[in-house]
Amino acid sequence: MKRYFRELSVAAALFALLAGLALFAPNFYEPAPLLSRFAAQAPALVVAIGMTLVIISRQIDISVGSQFGVCAVVAGTLAAMKLPLVVVLLASVGTGAILGAFNGVLIAGLGLPSIVVTLATMVTWQEALRLGQQGRFINLPPGMQWMGLSQVGGQRALVALAVLMVAAFAWALKNLAAGRHVYAVGSDAEAARLAGIHPKGTTFGVFVLMGGLVGLAAVMNIVQSPQVDPNAGGGLELKAIAAAVVGGVAVSGGRGNLWGVFVGLLLLATINPALTYLHVEAYWEKAIQGLVILLAVVADGLRSRRGKR
Amino acid sequence: MTAPLLQLTCVTKSFGAVRALKGVSFDLGAGEVHALLGENGAGKSTLIKVITGAHQPDGGTIDINGERVAHLTPAAAHKLGIACIYQQPALFPDLTVAENIALRLEPATAAHRVDWPVRRTRAAELLHRIGAEISPDAEVRSLSMPEQQLVEIACALGAGARIVIMDEPTASLTQKEQHLLFAVVRDLRASGVGVIYISHRLEEIFALADRVTVLRDGESVGTRLVGSSRRELAQTSSAESQSGPTSAATITESELIKLMVGREVSSIFPPAESEPGDVVLSLDNLGCTAGGVKNITLDVRAGEIVGLAGLVGAGRTELARILFGLTPADSGEIILNGQRITITSPQEAVAHGIAYVPEDRRRHGVILEMPIAHNMTMAIHNRLFPGTWLRFGAERNLAQEFIRNLAVKAYGPEAPGGSLSGGNQQKVSLARWLATKPKLLILDEPTQGVDVGAKSEIHKIIRRLAKDGLAVLMISSDLPEVLGMSDRIAVLRGGTIAAMLPGKSDAHAVMAAALGQTEDSR
Amino acid sequence: MSSSSKLNGWKSALLRHESVLLFLVLLEAFYFNAVGRNFATADNVGNIIRHSTEIGLLALVMMPIILTGGIDLSVGSLLGLCAVLFGKMCQEGGFSPLVAGGITLCIGAAAGGFNATLITWLRLPPLIVTLGTYSLFRGLAEAITKGTATYSKFPQAFLDFGNGALLGLPNQAWILLAVAMGVWLLIHQTTFGRSFRAIGFAPEGARYAGLPVERRVAMAYVLAGIVAALAAILFTARVTQARADAGIGYELLAVTAVVLGGTSIFGGTGTVHGTLLGVVAVAILSNGLSRILSISNVSRELSGMLTGALLVLALASGLLSKYIAAWRARRGVAG
Repeated sequence: MKRYFRELSVAAALFALLAGLALFAPNFYEPAPLLSRFAAQAPALVVAIGMTLVIISRQIDISVGSQFGVCAVVAGTLAAMKLPLVVVLLASVGTGAILGAFNGVLIAGLGLPSIVVTLATMVTWQEALRLGQQGRFINLPPGMQWMGLSQVGGQRALVALAVLMVAAFAWALKNLAAGRHVYAVGSDAEAARLAGIHPKGTTFGVFVLMGGLVGLAAVMNIVQSPQVDPNAGGGLELKAIAAAVVGGVAVSGGRGNLWGVFVGLLLLATINPALTYLHVEAYWEKAIQGLVILLAVVADGLRSRRGKR
Repeated sequence: MTAPLLQLTCVTKSFGAVRALKGVSFDLGAGEVHALLGENGAGKSTLIKVITGAHQPDGGTIDINGERVAHLTPAAAHKLGIACIYQQPALFPDLTVAENIALRLEPATAAHRVDWPVRRTRAAELLHRIGAEISPDAEVRSLSMPEQQLVEIACALGAGARIVIMDEPTASLTQKEQHLLFAVVRDLRASGVGVIYISHRLEEIFALADRVTVLRDGESVGTRLVGSSRRELAQTSSAESQSGPTSAATITESELIKLMVGREVSSIFPPAESEPGDVVLSLDNLGCTAGGVKNITLDVRAGEIVGLAGLVGAGRTELARILFGLTPADSGEIILNGQRITITSPQEAVAHGIAYVPEDRRRHGVILEMPIAHNMTMAIHNRLFPGTWLRFGAERNLAQEFIRNLAVKAYGPEAPGGSLSGGNQQKVSLARWLATKPKLLILDEPTQGVDVGAKSEIHKIIRRLAKDGLAVLMISSDLPEVLGMSDRIAVLRGGTIAAMLPGKSDAHAVMAAALGQTEDSR
Repeated sequence: MSSSSKLNGWKSALLRHESVLLFLVLLEAFYFNAVGRNFATADNVGNIIRHSTEIGLLALVMMPIILTGGIDLSVGSLLGLCAVLFGKMCQEGGFSPLVAGGITLCIGAAAGGFNATLITWLRLPPLIVTLGTYSLFRGLAEAITKGTATYSKFPQAFLDFGNGALLGLPNQAWILLAVAMGVWLLIHQTTFGRSFRAIGFAPEGARYAGLPVERRVAMAYVLAGIVAALAAILFTARVTQARADAGIGYELLAVTAVVLGGTSIFGGTGTVHGTLLGVVAVAILSNGLSRILSISNVSRELSGMLTGALLVLALASGLLSKYIAAWRARRGVAG
């Protein structure tokens, strides 16, 4: 029980919030808007998976929002050329993986701190995108939206895909040696080296994977509207980091699991609509998001302080 | 005759200017327990790290199972069946015991599927074999240090290692855990594994080892057979380490101590010239649970050097950390110059006139990237720079004065600390604290990793300081140093003072008190 | 006086980071002057200074933080929050800009103190703490303005100050100069700077030397808060209105200028004049591009992109010089 204290307390907070909504704003539970809301969060959930891996390996990536924009534009451009969805998806994932590999080379290869490297790449990709795209939206061919399914069908498919990804990665993190290596490297890179694990290779792989997941998330996002917004990734990095930290992933590396992050993202994603339904102004979203991150790390800090005494 | 499991020939290794290994040869046969003995800084850990591939030797050869190994990496060593149990376990604090064991044993291939039930049962079985009562599902960070060491041993056992290195495995084990460990070591030997066993506890060496090699100052000063152990083993089935070695091995025991201590003449140490003055520091039943120190009662007088002897982990550095405010005391009293004081931070300690020259000079003693002048004035910012404004001229003069007085070899006050040799770094660290004009100077291993010339210079400086009326508390694992320098010697064992001996005691008495041999061997 | 890399002779002085950077800045200036229109006019120079004051101020106080081995990602957001609070106080509270400015500086100090408390007292990593406050401060600014409101009712004198000049230099230049002087003295001439360096090189070593590590680190963050508030007031005066999106992305520009200026991201080494040169390099780049490219949008994005690329390059080159220093140290000891 004690091991999952964080996950359980976040789940309790989510439950309390949902209960409050049920009491005071029951129309929150109307199926159609609820499904839309879930579908809209699906890409963020996929990005949060990658961020969880990155943070478990004791790194951080704040360039995911920019990566997301680049992947979306690449995917949108190819889709506008009427290429099939599979090609679009592969291209987007590939683009993400390359961008991730770039971070990975600088961080794992040169040993530069991930915060500054990804800060730099965040701006570089973002401005490159603005330069190339000048903020223009890309119109998608009609078959693209909802992947040719009905809206409800498409939304269901996206939510199912995101949850499936969480399940798959949760399984892999738990049951594949590669997943355990991520924990090992984040827990103690030197001990990992002594155990024959390659910390650099693992870190590089994590960043490539992060990029690939961003590519997937970008496609999951563009199929939800008739147009591609090149700025759709703004603030995504904070949301993903917040979900991971709130979900119990330790910023000191080596600890955390995806189900906690899943609940963490649900909690964060519910706060904003809850504010609206409970007639609190929505402008507080960012402040509350920051506060939630701080609360989560302060809770960890207090616990480790007490542990030391 | 078959080739030995491991054969090192003339291995050398230097770190900067310090020559840690000066051509050490060492061999280990199958089914043998080969003990490695030596004071701190004698080169044991470096030798171990060469064998595990953590350090690349500068010269010499390594043969494993009769085959020359050109470039030994940790991974290659692992593959060749070399396992090491470090003093500080190299475990993953965030992962469970079962997983820690598994990560060592399973191949590091990424696509490999983890079988949790197998991991758990194997961990449980290995832990059971060494008699450790640890849950495979416990997180390693929640385990005590001895428990973590037992996990390390389980790893080595499970790896089916052919060569197992144990670096002071019993340093923090309870009596019961020790007996279990001895049984494990004997099991390993019986199954043809070669064990390199490092320990300061002579009784363990006589209970377990077939041969013993003594290292001193990076050189092997001799390898001897430990005669009695096999016979004794055959006679006694259970682990009775106390009855065995007494009669047959006493002679060897003093020979061993002699080998370790060496034949350095004590007259090379500067003689005591001053009569001790008033009591400067008085400790009354001082204790600190976090540091593992209890009931320390001790006086240090002006002009007196009190040596603190004892094994690693006996509580010497911990005592120094209490006095310097790094881990504040939670019981007892500190009386400085007749006044009862509390020390909760280094700043307070400095304000009270307490100076601490730490053991780990590269991490704590000197900031390697900074010029030595800056290092020397770091503890006297308030005094040298009133109003916080730096006075570069004054700083330079002060640094030059210390460079002259302590004969620091550097190209100038602006030379970065890292460009100096160990002995000179130590002098810089010393200068930093002498600049504070302390009343009490605590030295922690003042000559560790320092070459012979600088060592005797540092000894002269310490003696001179005492003569000038400073109270000195000197922690040292270097027996000749403790014996030669101290006016009185406090021997620590298990976090408390085991014996107070006069200066110029003989090495045997100090070793015996540190090892807790006084009652045992009679 | 450079504390760590005092090597011998003019050769090493030439190879020092600041000299290389100065050369680059001059090269940049010559190029833009040759290619662009109206680059080296008094008007444009004033323009460059006016537009880079806020980033310069943030870089100047980011530098001590990076010197201690930390980072503060919240300065840009704090600038936004302070600007909004300042504007609200002036417009709705009826405070004079002077009083409101004083209160704003106190708020900045408190915000810096908040970061400092979490970092030193709870021993939390600066990165994650300031990432949290990055979101919190900006969020508060948005909440106060409800996302859209802008405050623009300021006394004319205040607005004149924002676009006026003294002795031929923009007013901001004098403030920037004063702060730069202050930070230079702090870092290079007082024991505080010495302590920052020691903490950056070896936090444990600094503790063992009896330095008050927590207090010094806290001081760096509080200073950053105060100066971010000052930058907010100057920003408001320059653009004549206070908005919640003031200073977005400034933390990156500040970090870039600092790292470009030769301060090691791992802590310990760096100079204030190097940081100023870094600020100038970034400012000239963005202004110069706008002079040679006709479409203003393109130049802004290109300069942003180049800034990011520059940061990566500066990081990599910093690493290179570290390797060289290590190599030299090894040879120096052996020989």
